[in-house]
Formats: sequence, C-alpha cells, structure tokens
Amino acid sequence: MRILTDLLMTALYTVFAQNLVLSSGLGMSEAIRVSTKPGTFGKFALMISGFSVVTSTLCSLIDSFKPMEAMPYAVRAAIYAGVLAGVYIIVAAVMRLFFGSSAKILGTLGIAALNTLVFTIPHINNSAAYSFAGSIGSGIGAGIAFVLAAALINSGSRKLAENEDIPEIFKGTPAMFFYVAMLSLAFAGFTDSNIFG
Amino acid sequence: MSNNISFKDVFIKGAVIYNPVLIQLVGLCPVVAASTTFARAAMLSVVLCVELIVTCTVASALFKKIPRWVRVLLYLIIGTAIICPLLWYIESFSLINLSLGMKIYIPLIAVNSMTAVHCEQFSVKNSVKLSLYDAAAAGFGASIIILIVGAVRELLANSAIGGMPVNLPITFKGMALPFGCLILLGFMAAGLKAFVARMYPQNSADEEPVVSEVFADENSEVTEVEIFDEFWAEPQPEEVPEVPMSVPEKTSVKPAEPSFSTAEEIDELLKSLGIDIDIKGDKQ
Repeated sequence: MRILTDLLMTALYTVFAQNLVLSSGLGMSEAIRVSTKPGTFGKFALMISGFSVVTSTLCSLIDSFKPMEAMPYAVRAAIYAGVLAGVYIIVAAVMRLFFGSSAKILGTLGIAALNTLVFTIPHINNSAAYSFAGSIGSGIGAGIAFVLAAALINSGSRKLAENEDIPEIFKGTPAMFFYVAMLSLAFAGFTDSNIFG
Repeated sequence: MSNNISFKDVFIKGAVIYNPVLIQLVGLCPVVAASTTFARAAMLSVVLCVELIVTCTVASALFKKIPRWVRVLLYLIIGTAIICPLLWYIESFSLINLSLGMKIYIPLIAVNSMTAVHCEQFSVKNSVKLSLYDAAAAGFGASIIILIVGAVRELLANSAIGGMPVNLPITFKGMALPFGCLILLGFMAAGLKAFVARMYPQNSADEEPVVSEVFADENSEVTEVEIFDEFWAEPQPEEVPEVPMSVPEKTSVKPAEPSFSTAEEIDELLKSLGIDIDIKGDKQ
C-alpha cells in the first residue's frame, strides 16, 4: 500500500505541482512542437512515460550501489546518458528489426526518448532521493506532464492563430512565448514561488 | 554550389533570421531553466557552442550514410563525450563553484533539440565547412540570447550583473522563474521580428509562419529544410528527407488561419463524445 501511495503521490506531484515542462522548461521545445498534433498526444505520453520509467528505474538500481555515492557528478551523468542511450537503441532496434517500424515511427521514438525531460528524470530522482516506487511514479508523471503541457499549448495556440487583435509584430512566436509564460506562471503558483520582493 | 556561399550568408541566416531560440524555438531548456545569472549563462553558452560545433562537424563528416534513428543516438553520445569530461574537469579542479542545478543542467545540453535540428536539417546534407559555419552561427545566435537573458534576469531578480550589485529601487524575483524568462523571450522575439522585417524584408513580413508551422512534424504536409535548402543545400538523393523538427516553408503560410489540419478531427472527436462545440467555426 505504501509503495502504491509513493508512486501515485510522486506522479501527481510531477504532473501538477512540479510540471517539469511548464515550471522548469524541460522538454519545452518538444512540447511546443508536439502540441500541433493532438492526435499524437497519447503516443507521446506512452513513449515518454515508458522511457522515463525504464531509464529512471535502471538508474535508481545503479544509484543503489555503494560506489555510486562517491562518484563525481560528471561520471553519474555519463552513466545516466549511457542508460538512456542503451534503452533507446534496444527499443528502436527491436521495433525496427522485429516489427518493421517505419522511419517516421522511429523518428517519433527518437524525439520521445532523447529529450531533456526524459534525461532529467534520473537526475531529479537522485537529487530528491525518491524511493524506488517514487522513481517509477516520477517517470509516469513526466509523460503525463508532457502531454498536459502540450494540450494546454495546443489549446492556446489555436486561439492565438485566430486572434486578429494581436499586433502584427507580436503574432507568431512572440505571442506563443507570452502564452507559455502565462501557463508557466500558473504552475509557479502551485510551488509557492516568490514572484515579487 | 556550396562553395559560392559565404560565411556572412550562413551567419545572417543561422544567427539572425532563423535564430534558433527566438524563431525556431529550439534549445529552450537551457535558456529558460538555467540562465538565471550572467555567469551561468556564459558557462551554458560556451558548453552549448562547443557541443554544437563539434557534433555538427562530426555529423557532416561521418554520419551522412547512417540511418536517422541511429544518428540521433550518436548526437547524444558525442554530446556526452564532450560535456561530461568538461564537467568532470570543472568539478575536479574546482575551477568554478557549480551548484547542483548547474551540474544537472549542463549534461542536458547533450540532448538539446538545437543540436539534433541543426545536424539533421543541415549538417548531414552539406559539406563539413558549411556545417561548421552553420553550427557556429546557430551557436552564436543562441549564445547572444542566453547571455542577454542571463544578464537581464540577474539584474531584475537579484539587482546585480555578473555578481556585482546594482542599485535598483525594486527587484522582481519572478524573473528568475521560467515565466519571467519566457516573457523576456517574447519581447526579444518581437524585437527580432521587427529587425528582420526592416533589414531583410524578403525573409519576413507576411511570410512569417505561424508557430505551429515552425514545428510542423514529419507527418505534416509542410516539407522540411526548404528555407535552408533553397539558399545553401545541394539535394542529396540518397538521404531520406526526414528531420525531427522542421523550419517553415515560406510558400505554404496562411497566417490568418490556424494551420492545424486536425480541427476536423477534434470536431469529430467531440461529436463522438456528445459535445457540440464547433472547433472549425463552420456553424454560425
């Protein structure tokens, strides 16, 4: 029961209180890009969650070894990158060789696996000293947080594209930056951040 | 044709007209999350430039025949091979007092979308020399933005620049948060847009795409790399023209309309859920 609670609490925290995309900017470029294709949200949520869970679980196991405690952070980061690379190449090779996946699907897989959001999860798990169940929860939460951010950006960008009142010079990317800033501000409210002072 | 292109041409396109951060919206993570002071911004800029230049050059020299799904992994490996020894060197010799945040954010540059975009859109389709130019231009363009953002955020949030106190009547701590950075980037993007419209009108004005088209993906009808190709690149028939992220195609832009081809899909989805909201705006 405690394991399940840990997992769910960490997942919820990662999605809402600490939405890594909107409150930390992790994977933001990819979220903006994916936001233009609502049909791919489910696929991305699954892939990002999958890669985050597997990578962070393996990294948690590696972190549990005694020698890791004394490792310089650079070595730890290299190990995490190696784990992510290993997981990606195994999944991509299996999909390519056994399921005959197309280049398009593998391209999507690459974007879902090799981004700052997925690569950060093991680092966060380590620095926040999450339990094993918590590490899995944060991996699942990362995928959901990504899709939540992409869906919110999608919703706003449609409105921005239709809005004729926006001055010409602010149309396009400037308006998008302001909109994402407002979303980010909303999530900053969950973390009790000090804005003025 | 590659030999006819000057560094100036590549530089203006890569650093200004298609600035990676403000126009292409790639590599936002280090800018938004980590560039909270000028010193941190400077460190990120150096690491980003080194990583981008080395990876793009190697990609251009060696990766043209390798499938894309393997190439994207190689970018991570090269990035890690550059960044981790650098981080280890800084840590071991205590050159700079790195916070835990910076220790986390610096390795993230290895999976930076900017590297993947420039390698895929340009480096694997062009000569080593041009790739070097492009990477240097993109790195410079991104670095300038990161440095400005770092300086302004430090000034407004901490009343200091480069660690030196500056007397400001008020501070705005929110600038240290991502949303403060994004607002700043919004104004900078508008400024750059105005600058490009004035200085390079053939590349801006009503030809600027809506954001969704900047990020049209491989399933989209918008083809990739046209803007780069028409100016620099030679066609490479053996290459499968797929890239992780696309730059806008000038001729397909319809700024007044949302470019989402999925409005119908959303309408259908909502109908199937029993919700009668008209996304397309057909029902009046």
